[in-house]
Amino acid sequence: MSLNFNRRSMLRGLLGGSAVCMGIPALDIFLDENGLAFADGAKLPTRFGTYFWGLGLTDTPTGGSRWVPTKTGAGYEITPELESLKAVKNKVSVFSGFRVIGDGRPNIVHWSGHAAILSGQAPAATNRMDGASFDTRIADAIGTGTRFKSIEASASGKVVSFSTRTGTSYSTPETSPIALYTRLFGEGFQDPNSPVWKPDPSIMLRQSVLSAVTDQRAALMAGVGKADQIKLDQYFSSLRDMENQLAIQLQRPEKCEACVIPASPVEKPKAASVDVVNSNTKQMARLLAMGLACNQTRVFNMVHTPGSSETYVAGSSKIYHQITHDEPTDAKLGYQVETSKLAALVMQGFGEFLNEMDAIKEGDGTLLDHSLVMGFSDTGYAKIHSLENIPMFLAGGANGKHKAGQHIATKGEPVTRLSLTAMQIAGAPVGEFGVGAMKTARPLTEVMA
Amino acid sequence: MRKRISLALLAAAAVAVSGGVGMTALAQSGAAAPATIVKVATRRITESQYRNTIRDAFGPEIKINARFEPEKREGGLMAIGASDLSITSSGFEQYFSLAKSISDQVLDPKVRDTHVPCKPADAKKADDACTKAFVEKYGEMFYRRPLTAGEVAARVKTAQLGAAGAEDFYAGLKLALTSLLVAPEFMFRVETAEPDPANPKQYRLDGYTKAARLSYLFWDAAPDAELRAAAASGALHTKAGLDAQIARLQASPRMQDGARAFFIDMMQFEAFDGINKDPANYPKFSQAVADSAREQTLKTVVDLLVTKKRDYRDLFSSNETFINRHLASVYNVPYASAQEWAPYTFPAESQRAGILTQVTFLSLFSHPGASSPTKRGVKIHEIFMCEPTPEPPADVDFSKVQALDKGTVRTRLLAHMENEGCASCHRVSDPPGLALEHFDGLGQLRTKENGTVIDVSAEVEGKKFTGAPGLAKYLRDDKRIPQCLVRNVYAYGVGRPTDERDEDYIADQTKAFGAKGYKYPELIGQIATTPEFFKVRVPSGATPVPPGPPAKIAQAPAGANR
Amino acid sequence: MKRTVLKTAFLAASLFIAAPTLAHAAWTKTWVIEWFEPAHIYGAKTGVIDPGTDCPAGTNNSKPEIDWVDVMVKAGYTREEAVWLRDPANPTRSPVNGQNQMAFRGKDRANVYINPTSFPESGNFLPVSGTQAEGINLDGNATTGFVSPAGEKGIDNNFYKALGCWKTYRAPERLSSGALQFNDTMRNGSYTLVVVASGEGKDPMNDPNVTLGIYNSPDKLVKDGAGNISRDYTFRIKPDAKLEAVFKAKSVKGRITSTEAMDEVWMRNPGYDRELQLLKARIDFTMKEDGTLRGYVGGYRPWMPVYVGWVNARGPVIESLTWVSLPDVYYALQRYADYAPTPGGERTHISFALRVDAIPAYVMKPDASTTVAAATSYKAQAPAVVAAVAPASPYRAGGTVDGIVVGRGGAVSQTPDQLRPPAARIAAGTQ
Repeated sequence: MSLNFNRRSMLRGLLGGSAVCMGIPALDIFLDENGLAFADGAKLPTRFGTYFWGLGLTDTPTGGSRWVPTKTGAGYEITPELESLKAVKNKVSVFSGFRVIGDGRPNIVHWSGHAAILSGQAPAATNRMDGASFDTRIADAIGTGTRFKSIEASASGKVVSFSTRTGTSYSTPETSPIALYTRLFGEGFQDPNSPVWKPDPSIMLRQSVLSAVTDQRAALMAGVGKADQIKLDQYFSSLRDMENQLAIQLQRPEKCEACVIPASPVEKPKAASVDVVNSNTKQMARLLAMGLACNQTRVFNMVHTPGSSETYVAGSSKIYHQITHDEPTDAKLGYQVETSKLAALVMQGFGEFLNEMDAIKEGDGTLLDHSLVMGFSDTGYAKIHSLENIPMFLAGGANGKHKAGQHIATKGEPVTRLSLTAMQIAGAPVGEFGVGAMKTARPLTEVMA
Repeated sequence: MRKRISLALLAAAAVAVSGGVGMTALAQSGAAAPATIVKVATRRITESQYRNTIRDAFGPEIKINARFEPEKREGGLMAIGASDLSITSSGFEQYFSLAKSISDQVLDPKVRDTHVPCKPADAKKADDACTKAFVEKYGEMFYRRPLTAGEVAARVKTAQLGAAGAEDFYAGLKLALTSLLVAPEFMFRVETAEPDPANPKQYRLDGYTKAARLSYLFWDAAPDAELRAAAASGALHTKAGLDAQIARLQASPRMQDGARAFFIDMMQFEAFDGINKDPANYPKFSQAVADSAREQTLKTVVDLLVTKKRDYRDLFSSNETFINRHLASVYNVPYASAQEWAPYTFPAESQRAGILTQVTFLSLFSHPGASSPTKRGVKIHEIFMCEPTPEPPADVDFSKVQALDKGTVRTRLLAHMENEGCASCHRVSDPPGLALEHFDGLGQLRTKENGTVIDVSAEVEGKKFTGAPGLAKYLRDDKRIPQCLVRNVYAYGVGRPTDERDEDYIADQTKAFGAKGYKYPELIGQIATTPEFFKVRVPSGATPVPPGPPAKIAQAPAGANR
Repeated sequence: MKRTVLKTAFLAASLFIAAPTLAHAAWTKTWVIEWFEPAHIYGAKTGVIDPGTDCPAGTNNSKPEIDWVDVMVKAGYTREEAVWLRDPANPTRSPVNGQNQMAFRGKDRANVYINPTSFPESGNFLPVSGTQAEGINLDGNATTGFVSPAGEKGIDNNFYKALGCWKTYRAPERLSSGALQFNDTMRNGSYTLVVVASGEGKDPMNDPNVTLGIYNSPDKLVKDGAGNISRDYTFRIKPDAKLEAVFKAKSVKGRITSTEAMDEVWMRNPGYDRELQLLKARIDFTMKEDGTLRGYVGGYRPWMPVYVGWVNARGPVIESLTWVSLPDVYYALQRYADYAPTPGGERTHISFALRVDAIPAYVMKPDASTTVAAATSYKAQAPAVVAAVAPASPYRAGGTVDGIVVGRGGAVSQTPDQLRPPAARIAAGTQ
């Protein structure tokens, strides 16, 4: 629904809809003393983000791995390539053994993996997905009350984003910290702590939907038996919870104590070397985190490096992508040494990203505790563009909905199960996800609270 | 505005007074007061019923992707559990956002003209007449009865607000539709009884409630226009009118939907949600195999019982079925078709007989890494004989039973027989399961376990049989099998478990079922024609109220009765 | 050359149709190929690149990687130019398609991919030096060729001799990148090959008259719960006017070997050159107790398509990834080519064997009506071959022209014209 509000229609809406506000006074008992938030302490909204990096993590041809922990369940051990997640380990779940099932579609190298994770189906052509990326479903569910429905950023300077509603056109990402800063905190920035505040008119309309239902309550309840009355009472109490949620959105939001408008970053020349990309990632993390804390957006999509990552160690004549393919497996160690070293370097970006989110105190915890970040890559064993054992992570407590700190190991379950899990934890009303052999209605309940 | 409200208030007051009188009269005298109604049950609609309703209203293109609230099995059936279920807060959120997504799709500018029966005078403004037409048309489908004037008026008001806010008629209509879709009158089947004119001291289900009972039983869907018309005209209260509708429902291909829904419920297919197999033992298992198995069983049931109208008991012995490429691999036979599914008949050497020897039953009721004669036996009794097994005693030493690496499961199960607490049940549950031991935990044929030849002979209460074909014959002749189906169909239709007061009825119906050759469609029709199918049991605590002109109740200011 | 090959194929096809075909066999066994790769022996006891009996200096002669700056300097570029060409920050070096300039290092800056002889042999690309190889005795001569691991003499596999130490192919079974890449796509469903064996005798394990065919199938392989290819799935035969290999053989104690060499067969190849022609083709398979089939398909394959396949896979990318100067591959194949279709003519073919692993599967007639009754020819049911117009150059495939990608993936050039790094970069001393 495209809402075209002006002052007059707002007024008309308010006048014509006395029913809208009818339920609100009765709701007072559900609010705590300052009248602003739910009494049960669920004060802070859940935020969601994706974090993508290219080229996976390192497996070995003989079946070993440099990243998959041997211990499953809670308390997994830190493996060499997960070293950078050490500080937030208890807030990160690791998912291994998940794969993309092509259903006969080709393995489009450095594309099929993440396209399938995001769209639920192996793609038919490069740079195309068969449907929307799932982050948009989450944005539709949780991202409508903020200035931006979602924000995209790319740390390598490349114009690359995988967030799409059509499968063909992708959101335009901010490709430098300064651009991201300008987008979030430049012109149009809505200071959540500013004294001027306007409620979202679409929320009142959604309330009217519910009040039309409650209008009929008396008629419905007349003549029902005791057991049915209890059931219908529960229905109406659930409906009232929904009304409450909406009513709260019409209240002036709680002061965002965590929101501190950051200083503008300094412009730097673009480069794809891993130190620069990681430094951009860190800066962008700080900005995105503040963008979340300042209520500018609830959803973000971050790309560290694209699928066929061009990143390299400064001074080397070889890029990471090439090394994953051409480096032989070390005879003694049993894995690709340089590749693994680079994978760990690339993972530093993810570690620092999460550390930044965890550094922002919010309510009783940190911003990370109130967020869910799904990290994933395009491939498993990059040397052969494997679509098996694609590394994936869920980070952050999601307001207590993610039972974090676990390692979930499977043998070839479809990646879509994690996508579905992420959607459900983040609050998207989605019951199934994926197409063909990757269609699933089974989220990973082990990590769901 | 002010004037209208005060009029409505007056009307409401009048209704309240007369209602009070009726209630008192009934309570005091025990006689039915004239013109009171009572709501005998509210049954939450299932996911498939929700989907079918939306499909019938707006076509199959509408995508429904949401987490439906879990259903609950009670007295052997989800359909009975549905009478106990409400909607939780998180569930409501889901339904609310699903309703919004359906409204967005239905009123998408590209397709909305096919759904909206009228054009607004000005697309930028509310148009009450057009809104009313839309709300009345679809409201009747969702509520399974015409809407009251108040129910319509509430949505017209919502639509006005939305249209004004967005300067778009259709934006308002979206809100109205969303509101209908989250209404309890849609989410719950409200079963209503009215005084029976032929028998003034008794209640009868009203016409729309009867229509819904029929429609959900036969088609797993809300009543269509013709059935609603029969409800409105009172035809459903006459024998001729009821028979005509039953014949029509029975003749429709939509009987297949009804049969699917019923058997999904009865056969406990929710077990597929949690199915898990150890790939080390059963590498051929995959989600695709599980999905295929489920579909195989449903196709078999519908084909045999609805399409071919065969004897219900043939389900246990017939080897006519359907397979696809995945299942062909598990059954280890070639797949002789270029289509997705193909009819297939298991040959005698397959040792298979009936649906119990399909992957569905054999794998669902097994362990992740092994078969389980006990689970299989327990489920045969529970699902097909309506004989649930008590929970095992708490103090069982499972160490002997779980040593899976030696001998066959038969010798391991002997351990149970040393303990009388176990033996009393295992003597009943295990033999049918042991007869199925030539099929492993995925349902693949085998003759040995741990190198030992598997003995598939069994004995129950003096009756001896061998292997799956022997079990099939034993079950086919067991009188509990058809009786259990009758019990389930009736309980499924009326939404409550049977009790001792129903026993004679069940016995009679089973007899009639047999007399007509145990045909499932006949059974459905036969049960629907009995007065018991529409029998009213007034729930405890229900206070009959006057139906009143709905418009008047509805126009009372909302909240006045809170 | 291509044209003659096509002509031969037509001749062979028509011959086949005319030949009487087996209608019903006494027995038929069917499989689907779950893995196949060039039959190479990894001669070291451990590791994946260690020196061994096959390659005493190790994979790629233990030369870790070609110093491309050095190569370009030797080819006439200044060091400054060469360093800039290899710099990841150079916009003409596509991270996906490589540095096109690498092509122009031949005599007078000729493109070495299409003029391999314009560039000298490096001398580092050594052949396999051991005496052991897998494969089949193709010429019937026990005094030429290698000795099999089982001690059989006369094994002809000069493809292994020529390329067996190259990083692409050298690794223990199933671990070389060349094998992994093409089997992975097959196992993910992009193509399928089935094997049918049938015989006239009573005992499939010992039958003097066995026919074995290898066919394409339109049905995809399916992975099981453990990630392996699932057994007992059903596959139809896809009649193909070209890709079909039927062999006359016998079985002794479960081993199926050719009774005569087939003049010309074709099948899908696990490589960049997708269609494999084998002349004087033979098989050597063993039917195992667990129902699987393992063994070799051998014959003389044309070696030019092998080289062209690697060039078309994007010369600069292949050279970087597999640490090879592509002209070396050309020289090696040419040197060890050991078969001339015309007696006394040019040796256009090289002895070769594929090692094949197949698992039990059901194989159906093309219309899926019944399981196949015998390993016969299905060419008659194939759509007619459209006479292909021979391309002007074999070096055109997908997006590549002459071994490089032109006009995609950023500012790439086909000619040496962007050689100087920006002044700022020279000043910063990053070269």
